[in-house]
Amino acid sequence: MNGIGVLAGIAFAHLAVRTRQTLVAILGVAIGVGFFLAVSGMMTGSQTDFIRTLIDTAPHIIVQDEQRNPARQPAVTAWPQAAVAVRGVRPQDEVRGLKDWPAMLAAARTQPGAVAAPSLSGAVAVRFAGRTEPLSLNGIDPRIEGQLTKIEASLVGGHLTDLEARPDGIIISRPLANRVGARLGDTLLVSSSAGVLQRMRILALIEPDARAGFYAGDNAAYGLLRTAQVLFARPNVVNQLHIKLGDPQAAEGVAVTLEARWGYKWVSWQERSRDIRNLLVVRNVIMYAVIAAILLVASFGIYTSVSTSVTDKRRDIAILRAMGFTEGDVEGVFLIEGLVVGVAGALVGFAFGSVLLEVLARLPITVQGKPLELPLDRGLRQYLIAGAASLASALVAAWLPARKAAGVDPVDILRGAA
Amino acid sequence: MTALIETAHVTRRLIDPETVTLVDDACLKIQPGEFVAVVGPSGCGKSSLLYLLGLLDRPDTGSVRIDGILTDGLSDAERTHLRLERIGFVFQFHFLLPELTAEANVALPIRRLGRLSRSQADDRAHELLAKLGLKGEAHRRPDRMSGGQRQRVAIARALANDPAIILGDEPTGNLDSANTRLIVEEFQRLAHEEGRAVVCVTHDMGVAAAADRRIHMLDGRIVPEPGPA
Ligand SMILES: Nc1ncnc2c1ncn2[C@@H]1O[C@H](COP(=O)(O)OP(=O)(O)OP(=O)(O)O)[C@@H](O)[C@H]1O
Ligand SMILES: [Mg+2]
Repeated sequence: MNGIGVLAGIAFAHLAVRTRQTLVAILGVAIGVGFFLAVSGMMTGSQTDFIRTLIDTAPHIIVQDEQRNPARQPAVTAWPQAAVAVRGVRPQDEVRGLKDWPAMLAAARTQPGAVAAPSLSGAVAVRFAGRTEPLSLNGIDPRIEGQLTKIEASLVGGHLTDLEARPDGIIISRPLANRVGARLGDTLLVSSSAGVLQRMRILALIEPDARAGFYAGDNAAYGLLRTAQVLFARPNVVNQLHIKLGDPQAAEGVAVTLEARWGYKWVSWQERSRDIRNLLVVRNVIMYAVIAAILLVASFGIYTSVSTSVTDKRRDIAILRAMGFTEGDVEGVFLIEGLVVGVAGALVGFAFGSVLLEVLARLPITVQGKPLELPLDRGLRQYLIAGAASLASALVAAWLPARKAAGVDPVDILRGAA
Repeated sequence: MTALIETAHVTRRLIDPETVTLVDDACLKIQPGEFVAVVGPSGCGKSSLLYLLGLLDRPDTGSVRIDGILTDGLSDAERTHLRLERIGFVFQFHFLLPELTAEANVALPIRRLGRLSRSQADDRAHELLAKLGLKGEAHRRPDRMSGGQRQRVAIARALANDPAIILGDEPTGNLDSANTRLIVEEFQRLAHEEGRAVVCVTHDMGVAAAADRRIHMLDGRIVPEPGPA
């Protein structure tokens, strides 16, 4: 590669004599790359963190005993061509339950890395010391449910599995406990819409702002599946399946496939959070627009630098051509100039961006009195994107003046100089 | 013996905005070992002819052969390669790259041709400079040298790839008589001892007289040598 070497030698010589302009151009790229790393580190970091929370908050897929489309009436099925009007169709009972749920559970468990658990959820009322509060009671299998969500991390005073030893146990949120004035170990009176009354003992409290935990709201409560079935007078009935997959991203596809096979409503976390995720897309578009603007400004710097170099060096261009350098060689010299500025700018920018990220990571931010660590994405990917973007913009910015340099007619210059 | 340079009815015009004829129906033949001077009044087209011979410019009509190769149909890249290999240019102003040392300037065409390694190219550049009496100046930049030294560096660079043809456009135009004599002697040596074709545009009667033969130009045309006035 003697050829490239000699062109690079000329390019470096050009840059070296124009130290100040070169440094300014490098600095432009470096600032662009540095801010890119800081901004996208924060944005992708918080987004990843947010999505993880979305995924972890609840099971990846929840199967509910609802239909997406109302069931076709037998009369409509029987006479497909006929115009059938059906009146007075009433919805069935509220806590109906999933038919064939053991088979559905088995099907869900065949997915790679899947954990699946049945649950029976419904509305109950709790009474304590004369106060009544509505609750949404989830009857669960504590051992499996603990693997499905991060609820365990939010518990204080006990564990999910404590329910196994105490079928009359209940876990409620701390705010709800405060509202009715109950404490850990107190016994609540729980009544269901089926008219069943049951005394239940508080085994643990759910802390709303626990780190890395999961909180479904003040009025969510947990008990044993069997206990719930008794409360709702629905022995052996299950109205929800909770599924966690090895690969959370697969949830949407799996949900669609299994829903087509089994009916009912299989809601993936993606479906549940569609609106929020659309917002994230908008946020990303804004971020990349800002980044593109920064890099555009940086590439203006490169353009100006290379373009003045071309103007200054018209005589050198004529000499090179007279010596036997081709138009392509001349173009190469100036492309290399732009590339060198781009690479040097990216490297300085990496250092600058790392410093910015380090500063952000150490920023003492507190939310509601608790120190908050900014979720930052400091992965190699960010650096690769920033590097590739700055190189691409450097090449494009240098290409225009380099084309101009290649088009210089040496004879014009030689005549002018003689 | 094939002529190193041979032109047949070469004409070059510019439209600026009315037509200017730079070179008009030029026919010439230059053999290896010949030192030829091109003379004529200012603006008669001497430089324009040299650019055509050096393949920097293309004639509108007529043809140029270099070492027997018809260059008319060649692409720009092919013509450039021919120039790199077989033609060395020396201009009135030294035309060195100001950022590079003398040695690096001379090594440029050698490295571009790519037949020698980098260190071999540097060695050859050094050797050429030494032959022209510039051993001590090899690592200096052009702005630290005298006009005569620079012009010798330019000649060393023109010789870098050992070309068969040397083209000079008033190479002594800026030099005193001592330096002029030095360069004329070098041109004579290049032609007579090394068998190259040397074509030198000049205003200097002494340089013209030292050449084996003179090509006279007037208004773009090659004219016979005018008799003594
Ligand atoms: N770009 C141009 N546009 C119009 N005319 C031009 C242009 N370049 C050169 N000429 C004309 O072409 C003619 C030949 O120019 P050329 O440079 O070849 O002359 P020359 O013999 O080398 O002159 P000198 O001895 O002054 O160097 C001149 O009359 C000049 O005015
Ligand atoms: Mg001239």
